[in-house]
Amino acid sequence: MFSQRVWLLAGLSAVLVVSVAARAAEPRVTRSLQVLYTFDDVQGDVVRDRSGVGRPLNLRIEKAASVQRRAGSLVVRSSAKIASAGPAAKLITAVKQTSSISIEAWIRPASDRQEGPARIVTLSDGPNARNFTLGQDGKRYDVRFRTSATSSNGIPSTASPNNSLGAALTHVVYTRDRNGNAKFFLNGKQRGGRQVGGDLRRWNGNFKLALANEFSGDRPWLGEFHLVAVYNRSLTPAEVVRNFKAGAGASRPPAQIAQDQRERFFETRVAPLFARKCLDCHDSATKKGGLDLARKVNAFAGGESGKAIAAGDAGKSHLWELVSAAKMPPKDSEPLTSEERLLIKKWIDDGAAWSRELIDPVVYTNDNDRGQLWLQRLTVVEYIETVRSAVGVDIAKEAREILPRDLRADGFSNTAYNLNVDLKHVEAYSQLAAIIVERMDMSEFASRFSKSRSLSTDATMRKFVAAMGKWLLRGPLDERETTNYSGIATTVASAGGDYDEAVGLIVEAMLQSPRFIYRVENQRGDGTPWPADPHELASRLSYIVWGAPPDAELLRAADSGALGEKQVVAAQVARMLQDPRAIDRSCEFVSEWLNLNRLENLQPNAERFPSWRPGLGGDMRDETIAFFKEVVWKQNRPLADLFDAQFTFATPRLAKHYGLKPQGGGPSEGLKRYDLSNVPARGGLLTQGSVLTVGGDDASMISRGLFVLNDVLRGAVKDPPPGLDTAAVPAKPGVSARAVSEKRISAVACGGCHIRFEPLAFGLEKFDGVGAFREQDEHGNQLREDGEILFPGAAKAVKYQKSSELMTLLADSGRVSETITWKVTQFALGRPLVSADARTVEQIDKEARQGGGTYASLITAIVTSDLVRMTRTQPAEAESP
Amino acid sequence: MTTSNRALGINRRTLLKGVGGVTIGLPLLEEMLDSTAAAAETELPTRAFNVFFGLGVPSPLQKEGYDGVLEPLKPLRDKLLIMRNVDQVRCDEKGSNAHYDGAIGAFTAEPPDGEAKAGGPSIDQVIRRAYYPQGLPAGMVPTLIGGTFFRRSRVGRYVHSYNLDGTVAATIQEKPRDLFDRVFGSVAVAGGKDSRQQRFKRSVLDSVVGEYRFFTGSNSPLGSASKARVADHLDRIREFEQRAYAMRHKNRKGPELPPRSNVPHGGPADPGGQGIDITLEELTTEWRLVADLYALAIQMDRVRFGSLTFLAAGERIRLTGDYRHNGRLIWKFDDPGQLRASGDKGCSHEWWHQFNERRKNEQLRSHAHLKMREMAYFLQRLDGDDAREANGKTILENSLITISTESGDGRHNDVKRELSGVFHAITGAAGRFKTGEILDVGAEGVDVYNTMLEGMGVKRRLGPGKRKSTSIDSIRA
Repeated sequence: MFSQRVWLLAGLSAVLVVSVAARAAEPRVTRSLQVLYTFDDVQGDVVRDRSGVGRPLNLRIEKAASVQRRAGSLVVRSSAKIASAGPAAKLITAVKQTSSISIEAWIRPASDRQEGPARIVTLSDGPNARNFTLGQDGKRYDVRFRTSATSSNGIPSTASPNNSLGAALTHVVYTRDRNGNAKFFLNGKQRGGRQVGGDLRRWNGNFKLALANEFSGDRPWLGEFHLVAVYNRSLTPAEVVRNFKAGAGASRPPAQIAQDQRERFFETRVAPLFARKCLDCHDSATKKGGLDLARKVNAFAGGESGKAIAAGDAGKSHLWELVSAAKMPPKDSEPLTSEERLLIKKWIDDGAAWSRELIDPVVYTNDNDRGQLWLQRLTVVEYIETVRSAVGVDIAKEAREILPRDLRADGFSNTAYNLNVDLKHVEAYSQLAAIIVERMDMSEFASRFSKSRSLSTDATMRKFVAAMGKWLLRGPLDERETTNYSGIATTVASAGGDYDEAVGLIVEAMLQSPRFIYRVENQRGDGTPWPADPHELASRLSYIVWGAPPDAELLRAADSGALGEKQVVAAQVARMLQDPRAIDRSCEFVSEWLNLNRLENLQPNAERFPSWRPGLGGDMRDETIAFFKEVVWKQNRPLADLFDAQFTFATPRLAKHYGLKPQGGGPSEGLKRYDLSNVPARGGLLTQGSVLTVGGDDASMISRGLFVLNDVLRGAVKDPPPGLDTAAVPAKPGVSARAVSEKRISAVACGGCHIRFEPLAFGLEKFDGVGAFREQDEHGNQLREDGEILFPGAAKAVKYQKSSELMTLLADSGRVSETITWKVTQFALGRPLVSADARTVEQIDKEARQGGGTYASLITAIVTSDLVRMTRTQPAEAESP
Repeated sequence: MTTSNRALGINRRTLLKGVGGVTIGLPLLEEMLDSTAAAAETELPTRAFNVFFGLGVPSPLQKEGYDGVLEPLKPLRDKLLIMRNVDQVRCDEKGSNAHYDGAIGAFTAEPPDGEAKAGGPSIDQVIRRAYYPQGLPAGMVPTLIGGTFFRRSRVGRYVHSYNLDGTVAATIQEKPRDLFDRVFGSVAVAGGKDSRQQRFKRSVLDSVVGEYRFFTGSNSPLGSASKARVADHLDRIREFEQRAYAMRHKNRKGPELPPRSNVPHGGPADPGGQGIDITLEELTTEWRLVADLYALAIQMDRVRFGSLTFLAAGERIRLTGDYRHNGRLIWKFDDPGQLRASGDKGCSHEWWHQFNERRKNEQLRSHAHLKMREMAYFLQRLDGDDAREANGKTILENSLITISTESGDGRHNDVKRELSGVFHAITGAAGRFKTGEILDVGAEGVDVYNTMLEGMGVKRRLGPGKRKSTSIDSIRA
């Protein structure tokens, strides 16, 4: 027992601790933080979660009279309970994902006689069932932590040394890593620990979080709370010290929270509005009236009428003056609604927070789609590879024949919302499953999961079903599933069937089940991103990198919880990129991006292109794929080099078509590499037939320009304005396609938009509609290759004299690199990207470039980003009626 | 090409005679025949179909009534309500032209939401969900989407039936044989007739169904869109189950499948957006097989909801052949010759770009006339004596069939004009809507569609939730 004097001294030392901490400059650790309570409200019965992670897990004080609230602390004077209203789902999911935890508290116990243990922080259901509890057991701290190796009560527990609990304000941290190493830290110093093995599969997802008592109400803890935090990671000793030094009062200042909210308002409300209704006339290139509302610096600098935005005072802002008087947008444009006008006013009045350097209109193009989460059905290609990887059967021929084709949507045929299912699919999955099982050596396959070949012992069969199911369905089965599939064995046994027959039928059922056909993931939550479950994450990695299911090593990593660590994921990806399936997957990407499959159906007009030969389209496709493999895989060059690498691959007939001296003999010979350093006209993707044919027979400047704008520069243009004759004007003697195009650009009504994309195709004029090179067109017009390129977001166009200069400009452009990043990310995620993804994609692009801009660096940046590691969730109330 | 405008007889119990002397065989299942008989005896089923034709009829030509390009619809005038001056401007989406926006907007009144997704559901699906919230009777095709089309750069150009979440309601059947299979085919089940094997296969299917049921149930970890997708899958499994195990009695007298299609499909149908050469005979033979089969599916009560497409939005074909109607030569189609161009510039699509109300627009008129003739062809399949129902009216009169297209003007130079005056026609839906008139409704498509839903007794409305709806009473009977 402490004497009064000791308590007094303890109080003084607490003050010292806090004041030392207050001098510390380094902020608290925020990585892997899941919940944070700083007790900064002085009124009300809610203790707010200030973590800023996911939906706040706020706690409610049940007996207000038992506590006293102060700024930065909460004093529990008598038995109380401060608990979450529902399950602590985000916390439970996050900790289960990593199998690691840090429980941190700045507390001051009211006495050293509290026992039970008295519950300080608990994630539990009652006196005997918990995921974890930090408690006080007399003169020591005690943590009960549930794993597969401890009881459902978390026993045996881990305790700090005897007499380690004092009356001072104390920094208490318990950490436990996925290998089971549990440690106690008191005031930054390690004070005890032990091994707490096992995994967290038995963690209950329905438990709530509480402070100061057990849910039964009979394990009260009295004292002061200054801070409580939980991480889904074992903090390092240095990080524990850092948090200790940061002190008890070191939470995110309210001013910072408010600023974050203002920036979020700008990003989600104001920027999309500007993009939609202002930037057609006020982006960096057009800036009517000298006002550029796309770039932060320029927007605040103002236009010809002076400053447009007076941060904090809409009344003094010229922008608001025009908007409120309905003078902007101008009369022939879509007007602002009254709600939109008020939004601008509020934004300016609140300080005109502007968190992005550039408002890029294309970022908001897909925002209609937001909120919708579609699970991913395996594409035909993925189905084939999944079957091959899972059971070793090549079903490609039959699957391609029987399964309906996947259609392209938003540029890719793996877009989840469009991967629907019809009767034909169901029939095909059933037929294919039967064929697959027929081709398998069932005894050999079954022996991988069980030594027993007994049908009669239910327990053996259930274990077997669980093990085999985990492999085939890419993650552990729950009891319900095991029971369901085991039922097939019972049917077989009752009909006198044998073991192999039963296994075959179970496999057949699993091959048709939702967890095989779809990539089933948990999508339920609070509407904020949650950490992906380890096995879901393993599947994400394997389908992104390989288009195939996780292998045994990846599943093991998921089992151990190791995939919660970014560096572990990066190491796995590095390993996976060595597999040939990674190359195939990347080729699938390029094929989709450039829509290469259309080439086999090319039918140019025979009279205009008498030299066209069937098969050339296929050769062009093969050329681009071979070129991509060489640049990306063999030479491991930055992806942007695809635009100006000085070589290509061609069959003899394609080489002839290109005007290159064919290597090898007959037209049936395969691709050969051609060095293009001395062929100034060619070099890079845009000079390949696969891309040049997008202009059609007429080598349309518009089609080619729009392709470069949309698919290489990620730009967008609006519809033609009213009253314009859009009939195509063909080239004729004396007027080349370039001349027609320039006339169009110089026309007031067209030029504003056409200047953004047609000049992108000027450098390609010497290539005809089927990709052959010529100096003159069919009318005898001399052709040119000089032009200019206006990168989206840029203020001025850059001129080029030769097409090779255009290719270099593209290869060196940050915008092109960014576009590739967006495209690969979209393909990886199987959905169009929305504005909420923009920040993360920017970060991915930055990391990829730091890693050399290679495919490997880009894929690594994608899979280690939150877009892959986190799952978007939907709250239950958002269910459609 | 001398195809008659007279409907070819369909004897639904034996053979289906297609055009050009082709006979379509029907390996019908006895149960399907029974279901037809049952339907005829009981109350009228609720049906809704969207019928789409590509490229539209320019608004000024609609004013000519049945004296102009609408002439082929004249024999059906008493059973149709032609609606002029329907405005779909709200369907405009920045960055894509009206071929796509208008096509998605047809029957949904919403702009697109992605390349293969509408901004909301189509009329037929809203009615389907309202009348059959638990699904259609066992074995029936929940939604049938069919059509003859070639341009396929975006799904919205040719699919015209959308789920409540805006995704396509079913896979489109574009080959007559596939459409036939989807409606009338039995499904292949491994295991043959061995009863022991059959029992095992049932056990497998039971387990599979159990899994799909879990993921659509209250404990499913899936969000609502994903859940709806899995629920769709489960519906298809049940349909599969029904066909595999409940309907095993093949009518062995039935001849074989419809003939193989002779026009391009898949990638070859849309070579890089450059269009294809096709004769009038090839086009109409294919389409009429599809139309016959679709109509037969309705007659036999295998299908109650869905859509049918005759040529995609912004279709690119280079059509050739003599076009006759009622014995008179309407036009000699020769798009590439008359346009003096190849590739996309030689396609009939260009006549729409070149439309000018002060000119004759002969080519456009002929193409539009042809489209109306083919619309009439399909509608007449539902209006013969063998399509008469318990109330003495025909299926055409008892169903809600909406006919529309993507634009009211083919020139891409004025969105407002392009998406105004979009041709619409509807049938009476068992006396719910006026017929026998040509109305200038002067209203937004969304209000017209919502009035139709109101008339059908359906609560859900299309378009933005907050929007104040205006009932177009003039179309109600």
